Amino acid sequence: MRHWRLEPAHDLGLALSERMRSERRESGFIETAAHLAWWAAVGGYLKTIHRLRVEGREHLPEDGPFVLVSNHQSHLDALVLASQLPWRLRVRTYPIAAADTFFESPLKSAFAAAAINALPMSRGRAGVHALQTLRDRLANERCIYILFPEGTRSRDGLMGPFKPGVGMFLAGTSVPAVPCHLIGTFEALAPRRHVPRPVRITLRIGKPMTFEQMANLREGWAQIAERLERAVRGLAELDS
Amino acid sequence: MNEMTRQRLFGATHAFDSPIVRGFVVGILGLFVLAPVLIVLLRRAGKVDVKHYDELMKRYRSWLVLATIMIVPVLLGAAWTILGVGLLSILCYREYARATGLFRERLMSLLVAVGILAVTFSVLDHWYELFMALFPLTVGTIAAVAILDDRPRGYIQRVALAVLAFVLFGACLGHLGYFANDPQFRPILFWLIVSVEMNDVFAYLTGKAFGRRKLAPRTSPNKTVGGAIGALVLTTVLAAFVGHFVFKGEVLDRPSRLIELGVIISICGQLGDLLISSIKRDLDIKDMGILFPGHGGWLDRFDSLILVAPAVFHFVGYFRGIGLDEPARILTGGY
Repeated sequence: MRHWRLEPAHDLGLALSERMRSERRESGFIETAAHLAWWAAVGGYLKTIHRLRVEGREHLPEDGPFVLVSNHQSHLDALVLASQLPWRLRVRTYPIAAADTFFESPLKSAFAAAAINALPMSRGRAGVHALQTLRDRLANERCIYILFPEGTRSRDGLMGPFKPGVGMFLAGTSVPAVPCHLIGTFEALAPRRHVPRPVRITLRIGKPMTFEQMANLREGWAQIAERLERAVRGLAELDS
Repeated sequence: MNEMTRQRLFGATHAFDSPIVRGFVVGILGLFVLAPVLIVLLRRAGKVDVKHYDELMKRYRSWLVLATIMIVPVLLGAAWTILGVGLLSILCYREYARATGLFRERLMSLLVAVGILAVTFSVLDHWYELFMALFPLTVGTIAAVAILDDRPRGYIQRVALAVLAFVLFGACLGHLGYFANDPQFRPILFWLIVSVEMNDVFAYLTGKAFGRRKLAPRTSPNKTVGGAIGALVLTTVLAAFVGHFVFKGEVLDRPSRLIELGVIISICGQLGDLLISSIKRDLDIKDMGILFPGHGGWLDRFDSLILVAPAVFHFVGYFRGIGLDEPARILTGGY
Protein backbone atom coordinates (compact mmCIF):
# COMPACT_ATOMS: atom_id res chain seq x y z
CA MET A 1 0.00 0.00 0.00
CA ARG A 2 1.34 3.42 -0.90
CA HIS A 3 1.85 5.77 2.03
CA TRP A 4 -0.25 8.90 2.21
CA ARG A 5 1.47 12.23 1.87
CA LEU A 6 0.23 14.29 4.80
CA GLU A 7 1.59 17.80 4.87
CA PRO A 8 0.60 20.10 7.73
CA ALA A 9 0.30 23.82 7.03
CA HIS A 10 3.82 25.21 6.71
CA ASP A 11 3.02 28.00 9.19
CA LEU A 12 1.52 25.64 11.80
CA GLY A 13 2.27 26.59 15.41
CA LEU A 14 2.92 30.29 14.73
CA ALA A 15 0.93 32.93 16.60
CA LEU A 16 -1.37 35.01 14.40
CA SER A 17 0.95 38.05 14.30
CA GLU A 18 3.94 35.86 13.39
CA ARG A 19 1.91 34.02 10.79
CA MET A 20 1.04 37.26 9.01
CA ARG A 21 4.72 38.15 8.70
CA SER A 22 5.95 34.69 7.76
CA GLU A 23 7.08 33.88 4.23
CA ARG A 24 5.73 30.38 4.91
CA ARG A 25 2.20 31.72 5.43
CA GLU A 26 -0.56 29.62 3.86
CA SER A 27 -4.06 31.01 3.46
CA GLY A 28 -6.99 29.16 4.92
CA PHE A 29 -10.58 29.35 3.85
CA ILE A 30 -11.42 32.78 5.23
CA GLU A 31 -8.22 34.41 4.00
CA THR A 32 -8.76 32.96 0.52
CA ALA A 33 -12.29 34.36 0.45
CA ALA A 34 -10.85 37.73 1.54
CA HIS A 35 -8.26 37.68 -1.28
CA LEU A 36 -10.83 36.80 -3.91
CA ALA A 37 -13.23 39.51 -2.74
CA TRP A 38 -10.39 42.04 -2.69
CA TRP A 39 -9.19 41.17 -6.21
CA ALA A 40 -12.75 41.28 -7.55
CA ALA A 41 -13.21 44.78 -6.10
CA VAL A 42 -9.79 45.94 -7.38
CA GLY A 43 -10.50 44.51 -10.84
CA GLY A 44 -13.80 46.39 -11.02
CA TYR A 45 -12.17 49.62 -9.82
CA LEU A 46 -9.35 49.46 -12.39
CA LYS A 47 -11.73 48.70 -15.22
CA THR A 48 -14.18 51.54 -14.46
CA ILE A 49 -12.00 54.33 -13.04
CA HIS A 50 -8.74 53.71 -14.91
CA ARG A 51 -10.19 52.11 -18.09
CA LEU A 52 -7.43 49.51 -17.81
CA ARG A 53 -6.13 48.19 -21.15
CA VAL A 54 -4.15 44.95 -21.35
CA GLU A 55 -1.93 44.05 -24.32
CA GLY A 56 -0.23 40.67 -24.83
CA ARG A 57 -2.44 38.71 -22.48
CA GLU A 58 -1.74 35.63 -24.63
CA HIS A 59 1.84 35.59 -23.28
CA LEU A 60 0.69 34.65 -19.77
CA PRO A 61 1.53 30.99 -19.02
CA GLU A 62 -1.45 28.66 -18.47
CA ASP A 63 -0.38 27.68 -14.96
CA GLY A 64 2.24 28.46 -12.31
CA PRO A 65 4.97 28.66 -11.40
CA PHE A 66 5.97 31.93 -13.03
CA VAL A 67 7.16 35.37 -12.00
CA LEU A 68 5.70 38.65 -13.24
CA VAL A 69 8.48 41.24 -13.49
CA SER A 70 7.57 44.87 -14.01
CA ASN A 71 8.64 48.49 -13.69
CA HIS A 72 7.51 50.08 -10.41
CA GLN A 73 6.12 53.59 -10.02
CA SER A 74 3.02 53.35 -7.82
CA HIS A 75 1.18 51.34 -5.17
CA LEU A 76 -1.30 50.50 -7.93
CA ASP A 77 1.26 48.39 -9.82
CA ALA A 78 0.88 45.11 -7.92
CA LEU A 79 -2.89 45.53 -7.94
CA VAL A 80 -2.97 45.91 -11.73
CA LEU A 81 -0.75 42.88 -12.31
CA ALA A 82 -2.51 40.49 -9.90
CA SER A 83 -6.01 41.48 -10.96
CA GLN A 84 -5.30 40.39 -14.55
CA LEU A 85 -4.66 36.75 -13.67
CA PRO A 86 -7.44 34.16 -13.99
CA TRP A 87 -9.38 33.30 -10.81
CA ARG A 88 -7.86 29.86 -10.32
CA LEU A 89 -4.33 31.35 -10.29
CA ARG A 90 -5.10 34.27 -7.99
CA VAL A 91 -5.18 32.11 -4.86
CA ARG A 92 -1.54 31.21 -5.57
CA THR A 93 -0.45 34.74 -6.53
CA TYR A 94 1.84 36.57 -4.14
CA PRO A 95 3.22 40.07 -4.58
CA ILE A 96 6.66 40.12 -2.95
CA ALA A 97 6.80 43.16 -0.67
CA ALA A 98 9.50 44.73 1.50
CA ALA A 99 9.14 43.38 5.04
CA ASP A 100 10.27 46.67 6.62
CA THR A 101 7.55 48.70 4.87
CA PHE A 102 4.53 46.48 4.39
CA PHE A 103 4.90 44.27 7.46
CA GLU A 104 6.20 46.76 10.03
CA SER A 105 2.99 47.08 12.09
CA PRO A 106 0.28 44.51 12.91
CA LEU A 107 -2.35 46.51 11.02
CA LYS A 108 -0.24 46.80 7.87
CA SER A 109 0.71 43.10 8.05
CA ALA A 110 -2.94 42.13 8.43
CA PHE A 111 -3.87 44.11 5.31
CA ALA A 112 -0.87 42.89 3.31
CA ALA A 113 -1.56 39.27 4.31
CA ALA A 114 -5.37 39.12 4.27
CA ALA A 115 -6.22 41.33 1.30
CA ILE A 116 -3.20 41.54 -1.02
CA ASN A 117 -1.72 38.13 -0.14
CA ALA A 118 1.75 39.65 -0.11
CA LEU A 119 4.78 37.73 1.12
CA PRO A 120 7.52 39.60 2.99
CA MET A 121 11.06 39.93 1.67
CA SER A 122 13.51 40.93 4.37
CA ARG A 123 16.58 42.94 3.56
CA GLY A 124 20.06 42.09 4.82
CA ARG A 125 21.12 38.96 6.67
CA ALA A 126 17.65 37.68 7.56
CA GLY A 127 16.77 37.96 3.90
CA VAL A 128 19.09 35.18 2.72
CA HIS A 129 17.21 32.40 4.50
CA ALA A 130 13.83 33.93 3.67
CA LEU A 131 14.83 34.15 0.03
CA GLN A 132 15.70 30.46 -0.13
CA THR A 133 12.27 29.67 1.38
CA LEU A 134 10.59 31.86 -1.23
CA ARG A 135 12.60 30.30 -4.06
CA ASP A 136 11.69 26.74 -2.96
CA ARG A 137 8.07 27.67 -2.46
CA LEU A 138 7.77 29.17 -5.95
CA ALA A 139 8.52 25.85 -7.63
CA ASN A 140 7.00 23.44 -5.08
CA GLU A 141 3.63 25.12 -4.81
CA ARG A 142 3.42 26.35 -8.41
CA CYS A 143 3.11 29.94 -7.20
CA ILE A 144 2.95 33.16 -9.13
CA TYR A 145 5.18 35.90 -7.72
CA ILE A 146 4.96 39.59 -8.58
CA LEU A 147 8.38 41.25 -8.41
CA PHE A 148 9.60 44.80 -8.91
CA PRO A 149 13.37 44.47 -9.45
CA GLU A 150 13.97 48.23 -9.20
CA GLY A 151 13.53 47.67 -5.45
CA THR A 152 11.52 50.85 -4.95
CA ARG A 153 8.94 53.03 -6.68
CA SER A 154 10.31 55.49 -9.25
CA ARG A 155 10.16 59.06 -7.93
CA ASP A 156 10.19 60.71 -11.38
CA GLY A 157 8.31 58.22 -13.54
CA LEU A 158 11.50 56.97 -15.24
CA MET A 159 12.50 53.34 -14.86
CA GLY A 160 15.59 52.70 -12.74
CA PRO A 161 18.15 49.89 -13.11
CA PHE A 162 17.07 46.35 -12.06
CA LYS A 163 18.78 44.97 -8.97
CA PRO A 164 20.29 41.46 -9.24
CA GLY A 165 18.01 40.11 -6.47
CA VAL A 166 15.43 39.10 -9.06
CA GLY A 167 17.96 36.62 -10.47
CA MET A 168 18.08 34.74 -7.17
CA PHE A 169 14.52 33.57 -7.75
CA LEU A 170 15.13 32.41 -11.30
CA ALA A 171 18.75 31.32 -11.88
CA GLY A 172 19.08 27.65 -12.78
CA THR A 173 15.34 26.95 -12.69
CA SER A 174 12.81 26.32 -15.43
CA VAL A 175 10.44 28.87 -13.88
CA PRO A 176 9.57 31.46 -16.53
CA ALA A 177 9.72 35.20 -15.89
CA VAL A 178 7.14 37.30 -17.72
CA PRO A 179 8.32 40.88 -18.40
CA CYS A 180 5.56 43.48 -18.02
CA HIS A 181 5.42 47.21 -18.54
CA LEU A 182 2.98 49.57 -16.86
CA ILE A 183 1.97 52.92 -18.28
CA GLY A 184 -0.13 55.46 -16.42
CA THR A 185 0.18 54.26 -12.84
CA PHE A 186 2.69 57.06 -12.11
CA GLU A 187 0.23 59.68 -13.38
CA ALA A 188 -2.58 57.96 -11.44
CA LEU A 189 -0.84 57.58 -8.08
CA ALA A 190 2.74 58.85 -7.90
CA PRO A 191 4.72 58.01 -4.73
CA ARG A 192 3.84 61.24 -2.92
CA ARG A 193 0.15 61.27 -3.81
CA HIS A 194 -2.53 59.84 -1.52
CA VAL A 195 -5.65 59.91 -3.69
CA PRO A 196 -5.50 58.32 -7.14
CA ARG A 197 -6.41 60.31 -10.27
CA PRO A 198 -8.68 58.64 -12.86
CA VAL A 199 -5.97 58.29 -15.50
CA ARG A 200 -5.99 55.49 -18.08
CA ILE A 201 -3.62 52.62 -17.24
CA THR A 202 -2.08 50.29 -19.80
CA LEU A 203 -0.43 46.97 -19.02
CA ARG A 204 1.76 45.41 -21.68
CA ILE A 205 2.77 41.76 -21.22
CA GLY A 206 5.85 40.38 -23.00
CA LYS A 207 7.02 36.88 -23.93
CA PRO A 208 8.11 34.63 -21.03
CA MET A 209 11.85 34.04 -20.56
CA THR A 210 13.62 31.22 -18.67
CA PHE A 211 17.12 31.12 -17.18
CA GLU A 212 17.76 27.42 -16.78
CA GLN A 213 21.39 27.58 -17.97
CA MET A 214 22.23 30.54 -15.76
CA ALA A 215 24.43 29.78 -12.72
CA ASN A 216 22.82 30.47 -9.35
CA LEU A 217 25.69 32.83 -8.50
CA ARG A 218 26.34 36.55 -8.42
CA GLU A 219 27.21 36.87 -12.16
CA GLY A 220 24.16 34.83 -13.16
CA TRP A 221 21.86 36.99 -11.10
CA ALA A 222 23.28 40.20 -12.60
CA GLN A 223 22.89 38.86 -16.13
CA ILE A 224 19.28 37.84 -15.47
CA ALA A 225 18.49 41.31 -14.09
CA GLU A 226 20.10 42.90 -17.12
CA ARG A 227 18.19 40.75 -19.62
CA LEU A 228 14.88 41.32 -17.87
CA GLU A 229 15.52 45.07 -17.68
CA ARG A 230 16.19 45.09 -21.43
CA ALA A 231 12.98 43.14 -22.06
CA VAL A 232 10.86 45.57 -20.01
CA ARG A 233 12.51 48.58 -21.68
CA GLY A 234 11.77 46.92 -25.02
CA LEU A 235 8.07 46.79 -24.11
CA ALA A 236 8.19 50.48 -23.14
CA GLU A 237 9.71 51.42 -26.48
CA LEU A 238 6.89 49.82 -28.48
CA ASP A 239 5.08 53.15 -28.08
CA SER A 240 7.72 55.40 -29.54
CA MET B 1 -42.80 28.52 18.22
CA ASN B 2 -44.57 28.28 21.58
CA GLU B 3 -43.59 30.11 24.74
CA MET B 4 -41.95 27.05 26.31
CA THR B 5 -39.65 26.61 23.31
CA ARG B 6 -38.79 30.31 23.27
CA GLN B 7 -37.84 30.11 26.94
CA ARG B 8 -35.70 27.03 26.29
CA LEU B 9 -33.89 28.75 23.41
CA PHE B 10 -33.40 32.23 24.82
CA GLY B 11 -34.69 32.22 28.41
CA ALA B 12 -31.59 33.23 30.29
CA THR B 13 -33.73 34.25 33.27
CA HIS B 14 -34.47 30.58 33.87
CA ALA B 15 -30.78 29.69 33.96
CA PHE B 16 -30.75 29.00 37.68
CA ASP B 17 -34.17 27.32 38.03
CA SER B 18 -32.66 23.92 38.67
CA PRO B 19 -30.89 23.39 42.01
CA ILE B 20 -28.38 21.17 40.20
CA VAL B 21 -27.32 24.06 37.95
CA ARG B 22 -26.97 26.29 41.00
CA GLY B 23 -24.88 23.59 42.66
CA PHE B 24 -22.60 23.24 39.64
CA VAL B 25 -22.07 26.97 39.19
CA VAL B 26 -21.34 27.54 42.88
CA GLY B 27 -19.02 24.51 42.91
CA ILE B 28 -17.12 25.64 39.81
CA LEU B 29 -16.82 29.22 41.09
CA GLY B 30 -15.57 27.85 44.42
CA LEU B 31 -12.92 25.79 42.62
CA PHE B 32 -11.74 28.85 40.73
CA VAL B 33 -11.40 30.86 43.93
CA LEU B 34 -9.71 28.04 45.79
CA ALA B 35 -7.29 26.86 43.12
CA PRO B 36 -5.01 29.95 43.02
CA VAL B 37 -4.98 30.10 46.82
CA LEU B 38 -3.90 26.46 46.91
CA ILE B 39 -1.22 27.04 44.26
CA VAL B 40 0.18 30.03 46.15
CA LEU B 41 0.19 28.07 49.42
CA LEU B 42 2.01 25.16 47.77
CA ARG B 43 4.59 27.60 46.45
CA ARG B 44 5.02 29.21 49.89
CA ALA B 45 5.45 25.81 51.50
CA GLY B 46 8.13 25.04 48.93
CA LYS B 47 6.25 22.08 47.48
CA VAL B 48 6.48 23.41 43.92
CA ASP B 49 9.39 25.20 42.26
CA VAL B 50 9.12 28.44 40.26
CA LYS B 51 8.87 26.66 36.91
CA HIS B 52 6.05 24.43 38.09
CA TYR B 53 4.32 27.37 39.75
CA ASP B 54 4.32 29.39 36.51
CA GLU B 55 3.07 26.37 34.58
CA LEU B 56 0.22 25.81 37.08
CA MET B 57 -0.79 29.47 36.98
CA LYS B 58 -0.74 29.45 33.18
CA ARG B 59 -3.00 26.41 33.16
CA TYR B 60 -5.26 28.01 35.73
CA ARG B 61 -5.74 31.13 33.60
CA SER B 62 -6.48 28.98 30.54
CA TRP B 63 -9.04 27.01 32.56
CA LEU B 64 -10.68 30.26 33.60
CA VAL B 65 -11.20 31.22 29.95
CA LEU B 66 -12.25 27.71 28.95
CA ALA B 67 -14.78 27.35 31.77
CA THR B 68 -16.36 30.69 30.83
CA ILE B 69 -16.61 29.60 27.20
CA MET B 70 -18.31 26.34 28.25
CA ILE B 71 -20.62 27.64 30.97
CA VAL B 72 -21.95 30.97 29.66
CA PRO B 73 -23.73 29.71 26.49
CA VAL B 74 -25.45 26.93 28.47
CA LEU B 75 -26.71 29.45 31.02
CA LEU B 76 -27.87 31.88 28.30
CA GLY B 77 -30.10 29.32 26.59
CA ALA B 78 -30.38 26.40 24.18
CA ALA B 79 -29.95 28.53 21.05
CA TRP B 80 -26.59 29.88 22.27
CA THR B 81 -25.52 26.40 23.35
CA ILE B 82 -26.30 24.95 19.91
CA LEU B 83 -24.60 27.81 18.06
CA GLY B 84 -21.66 27.55 20.45
CA VAL B 85 -21.23 23.85 19.69
CA GLY B 86 -21.50 24.65 15.95
CA LEU B 87 -18.76 27.25 16.25
CA LEU B 88 -16.62 24.86 18.30
CA SER B 89 -17.02 22.20 15.58
CA ILE B 90 -15.89 24.66 12.90
CA LEU B 91 -12.89 25.77 14.97
CA CYS B 92 -11.91 22.15 15.64
CA TYR B 93 -12.24 21.41 11.93
CA ARG B 94 -10.06 24.40 11.07
CA GLU B 95 -7.25 23.09 13.29
CA TYR B 96 -7.62 19.59 11.86
CA ALA B 97 -7.59 20.90 8.28
CA ARG B 98 -4.44 22.94 8.84
CA ALA B 99 -2.71 20.05 10.60
CA THR B 100 -3.55 17.41 7.99
CA GLY B 101 -3.16 19.74 5.00
CA LEU B 102 -6.78 19.15 3.95
CA PHE B 103 -7.27 22.94 3.86
CA ARG B 104 -5.43 22.96 0.53
CA GLU B 105 -8.33 20.95 -0.94
CA ARG B 106 -10.67 23.93 -0.85
CA LEU B 107 -13.70 22.14 -2.25
CA MET B 108 -13.46 19.32 0.30
CA SER B 109 -13.03 21.87 3.07
CA LEU B 110 -16.08 23.78 1.92
CA LEU B 111 -18.20 20.61 1.94
CA VAL B 112 -17.14 19.67 5.47
CA ALA B 113 -17.90 23.21 6.67
CA VAL B 114 -21.30 23.22 4.96
CA GLY B 115 -22.01 19.79 6.48
CA ILE B 116 -21.20 21.10 9.98
CA LEU B 117 -23.39 24.17 9.43
CA ALA B 118 -26.25 21.96 8.19
CA VAL B 119 -25.94 19.77 11.30
CA THR B 120 -26.05 22.89 13.47
CA PHE B 121 -29.18 24.04 11.66
CA SER B 122 -30.93 20.68 12.04
CA VAL B 123 -30.14 20.72 15.77
CA LEU B 124 -31.43 24.28 16.17
CA ASP B 125 -34.57 23.32 14.25
CA HIS B 126 -34.97 20.21 16.43
CA TRP B 127 -35.35 18.10 13.27
CA TYR B 128 -34.01 14.70 14.27
CA GLU B 129 -34.60 13.04 10.88
CA LEU B 130 -32.48 15.64 9.09
CA PHE B 131 -29.85 15.44 11.83
CA MET B 132 -29.55 11.69 11.16
CA ALA B 133 -29.90 11.98 7.37
CA LEU B 134 -27.03 14.47 7.15
CA PHE B 135 -24.50 11.78 7.98
CA PRO B 136 -24.94 9.60 4.86
CA LEU B 137 -25.86 12.61 2.71
CA THR B 138 -22.76 14.64 3.56
CA VAL B 139 -20.40 11.69 3.35
CA GLY B 140 -21.93 10.67 0.02
CA THR B 141 -21.68 14.22 -1.31
CA ILE B 142 -18.01 14.46 -0.33
CA ALA B 143 -17.22 11.18 -2.12
CA ALA B 144 -19.22 12.23 -5.19
CA VAL B 145 -18.00 15.82 -5.53
CA ALA B 146 -14.36 14.70 -5.21
CA ILE B 147 -14.80 12.90 -8.55
CA LEU B 148 -15.57 16.13 -10.41
CA ASP B 149 -11.92 17.26 -10.36
CA ASP B 150 -11.04 14.29 -12.57
CA ARG B 151 -7.94 13.85 -10.41
CA PRO B 152 -7.91 10.21 -9.28
CA ARG B 153 -4.39 10.49 -7.78
CA GLY B 154 -4.98 11.14 -4.07
CA TYR B 155 -8.76 10.61 -4.31
CA ILE B 156 -8.88 8.18 -1.39
CA GLN B 157 -6.74 10.41 0.79
CA ARG B 158 -8.70 13.63 0.32
CA VAL B 159 -12.10 11.92 0.58
CA ALA B 160 -11.06 9.95 3.66
CA LEU B 161 -9.63 13.02 5.40
CA ALA B 162 -12.82 14.97 4.70
CA VAL B 163 -15.11 12.11 5.77
CA LEU B 164 -13.18 11.59 9.02
CA ALA B 165 -13.43 15.32 9.68
CA PHE B 166 -17.19 15.32 9.20
CA VAL B 167 -17.61 12.17 11.29
CA LEU B 168 -15.67 13.64 14.23
CA PHE B 169 -16.68 17.31 14.20
CA GLY B 170 -20.04 17.24 12.43
CA ALA B 171 -21.73 13.97 13.30
CA CYS B 172 -20.14 13.14 16.68
CA LEU B 173 -19.66 16.59 18.19
CA GLY B 174 -23.06 17.65 16.81
CA HIS B 175 -24.69 15.36 19.39
CA LEU B 176 -23.39 17.60 22.15
CA GLY B 177 -25.58 20.43 20.84
CA TYR B 178 -28.60 18.15 20.40
CA PHE B 179 -28.84 17.70 24.19
CA ALA B 180 -30.00 21.34 24.23
CA ASN B 181 -33.34 20.24 22.71
CA ASP B 182 -34.27 18.69 26.05
CA PRO B 183 -36.00 20.92 28.63
CA GLN B 184 -33.49 19.60 31.19
CA PHE B 185 -30.50 20.49 28.99
CA ARG B 186 -28.71 22.67 31.55
CA PRO B 187 -28.29 20.02 34.29
CA ILE B 188 -27.55 17.31 31.70
CA LEU B 189 -24.88 19.32 29.88
CA PHE B 190 -23.24 20.53 33.09
CA TRP B 191 -23.16 16.97 34.38
CA LEU B 192 -21.71 15.69 31.12
CA ILE B 193 -19.07 18.40 30.61
CA VAL B 194 -17.93 18.37 34.24
CA SER B 195 -17.66 14.56 34.20
CA VAL B 196 -15.60 14.60 31.00
CA GLU B 197 -13.27 17.36 32.17
CA MET B 198 -12.86 15.76 35.59
CA ASN B 199 -12.09 12.47 33.81
CA ASP B 200 -9.02 14.21 32.31
CA VAL B 201 -8.04 15.65 35.68
CA PHE B 202 -8.48 12.29 37.45
CA ALA B 203 -6.39 10.53 34.82
CA TYR B 204 -3.64 13.12 35.27
CA LEU B 205 -3.66 13.02 39.09
CA THR B 206 -3.97 9.26 39.59
CA GLY B 207 -1.43 8.77 36.81
CA LYS B 208 1.02 10.97 38.75
CA ALA B 209 0.31 9.07 41.96
CA PHE B 210 0.04 5.43 40.85
CA GLY B 211 0.98 5.34 37.19
CA ARG B 212 3.91 3.11 36.32
CA ARG B 213 3.05 1.05 33.25
CA LYS B 214 2.56 3.05 30.09
CA LEU B 215 -0.87 2.79 28.50
CA ALA B 216 0.06 3.45 24.87
CA PRO B 217 3.63 4.77 24.83
CA ARG B 218 3.81 5.25 21.09
CA THR B 219 0.53 7.18 20.94
CA SER B 220 0.72 9.25 24.11
CA PRO B 221 3.89 8.74 26.16
CA ASN B 222 2.58 10.36 29.36
CA LYS B 223 -0.53 8.21 29.82
CA THR B 224 -0.34 5.30 32.25
CA VAL B 225 -2.49 2.27 33.00
CA GLY B 226 -2.79 3.51 36.59
CA GLY B 227 -4.14 6.85 35.37
CA ALA B 228 -6.65 5.17 33.06
CA ILE B 229 -7.98 2.88 35.80
CA GLY B 230 -7.98 5.67 38.38
CA ALA B 231 -9.98 7.89 36.03
CA LEU B 232 -12.39 5.05 35.25
CA VAL B 233 -13.11 4.45 38.95
CA LEU B 234 -13.30 8.09 40.07
CA THR B 235 -15.25 9.36 37.04
CA THR B 236 -17.75 6.52 37.35
CA VAL B 237 -18.32 7.38 40.99
CA LEU B 238 -18.66 11.10 40.25
CA ALA B 239 -20.88 10.71 37.17
CA ALA B 240 -23.15 8.14 38.86
CA PHE B 241 -23.48 10.20 42.02
CA VAL B 242 -24.29 13.47 40.27
CA GLY B 243 -26.33 11.63 37.60
CA HIS B 244 -28.62 10.38 40.36
CA PHE B 245 -29.69 13.99 41.00
CA VAL B 246 -29.81 14.96 37.31
CA PHE B 247 -32.07 12.03 36.36
CA LYS B 248 -33.92 11.80 39.69
CA GLY B 249 -37.05 9.65 39.52
CA GLU B 250 -36.52 8.79 35.82
CA VAL B 251 -35.77 5.40 34.25
CA LEU B 252 -32.05 6.13 34.34
CA ASP B 253 -32.09 6.67 38.10
CA ARG B 254 -30.93 3.14 38.94
CA PRO B 255 -27.44 2.27 40.21
CA SER B 256 -26.68 -0.09 37.32
CA ARG B 257 -27.68 2.45 34.62
CA LEU B 258 -25.84 5.30 36.34
CA ILE B 259 -22.68 3.21 36.67
CA GLU B 260 -22.93 2.23 33.00
CA LEU B 261 -23.17 5.92 32.10
CA GLY B 262 -20.08 6.70 34.17
CA VAL B 263 -18.12 3.89 32.52
CA ILE B 264 -19.17 5.10 29.05
CA ILE B 265 -18.09 8.68 29.84
CA SER B 266 -14.71 7.64 31.21
CA ILE B 267 -13.80 5.14 28.49
CA CYS B 268 -15.04 7.25 25.56
CA GLY B 269 -13.40 10.35 27.04
CA GLN B 270 -10.02 8.64 27.23
CA LEU B 271 -10.42 7.12 23.76
CA GLY B 272 -11.26 10.55 22.28
CA ASP B 273 -8.08 11.90 23.82
CA LEU B 274 -6.01 9.03 22.37
CA LEU B 275 -7.72 9.43 18.99
CA ILE B 276 -6.52 13.02 18.61
CA SER B 277 -3.11 11.96 19.96
CA SER B 278 -2.91 9.34 17.21
CA ILE B 279 -3.64 11.99 14.59
CA LYS B 280 -0.94 14.24 16.05
CA ARG B 281 1.61 11.39 16.18
CA ASP B 282 0.86 10.45 12.60
CA LEU B 283 1.54 14.05 11.56
CA ASP B 284 4.56 14.48 13.87
CA ILE B 285 3.13 17.55 15.54
CA LYS B 286 2.85 18.27 19.26
CA ASP B 287 -0.26 20.40 19.54
CA MET B 288 -3.12 21.20 17.20
CA GLY B 289 -2.98 24.90 18.11
CA ILE B 290 -1.39 27.45 20.41
CA LEU B 291 -4.52 29.20 21.64
CA PHE B 292 -4.60 28.09 25.26
CA PRO B 293 -1.23 28.19 27.03
CA GLY B 294 -0.58 24.84 28.71
CA HIS B 295 -3.40 23.13 26.80
CA GLY B 296 -2.84 23.69 23.06
CA GLY B 297 -5.63 24.46 20.62
CA TRP B 298 -9.39 23.86 20.65
CA LEU B 299 -8.96 20.27 19.58
CA ASP B 300 -6.38 19.52 22.28
CA ARG B 301 -8.85 20.61 24.93
CA PHE B 302 -12.16 19.32 23.56
CA ASP B 303 -10.87 16.01 22.16
CA SER B 304 -12.40 13.95 25.00
CA LEU B 305 -15.92 15.21 24.24
CA ILE B 306 -15.93 13.96 20.64
CA LEU B 307 -16.70 10.30 21.33
CA VAL B 308 -18.55 10.86 24.63
CA ALA B 309 -21.26 13.05 23.07
CA PRO B 310 -22.83 10.47 20.70
CA ALA B 311 -22.34 7.52 23.09
CA VAL B 312 -24.05 9.20 26.03
CA PHE B 313 -26.67 10.79 23.77
CA HIS B 314 -27.83 7.44 22.41
CA PHE B 315 -27.64 5.70 25.80
CA VAL B 316 -29.80 8.39 27.38
CA GLY B 317 -31.97 8.53 24.27
CA TYR B 318 -32.60 4.79 24.29
CA PHE B 319 -33.83 4.61 27.89
CA ARG B 320 -35.22 8.05 28.52
CA GLY B 321 -35.45 9.97 25.24
CA ILE B 322 -34.11 13.48 24.62
CA GLY B 323 -36.50 16.36 24.02
CA LEU B 324 -39.34 13.98 23.10
CA ASP B 325 -42.08 16.28 24.42
CA GLU B 326 -40.57 19.41 22.89
CA PRO B 327 -42.06 20.66 19.60
CA ALA B 328 -39.99 19.49 16.61
CA ARG B 329 -39.03 21.45 13.46
CA ILE B 330 -39.50 24.78 15.15
CA LEU B 331 -37.95 26.74 12.24
CA THR B 332 -38.99 24.78 9.16
CA GLY B 333 -42.45 23.84 10.45
CA GLY B 334 -43.95 20.37 10.16
CA TYR B 335 -46.00 18.98 7.31
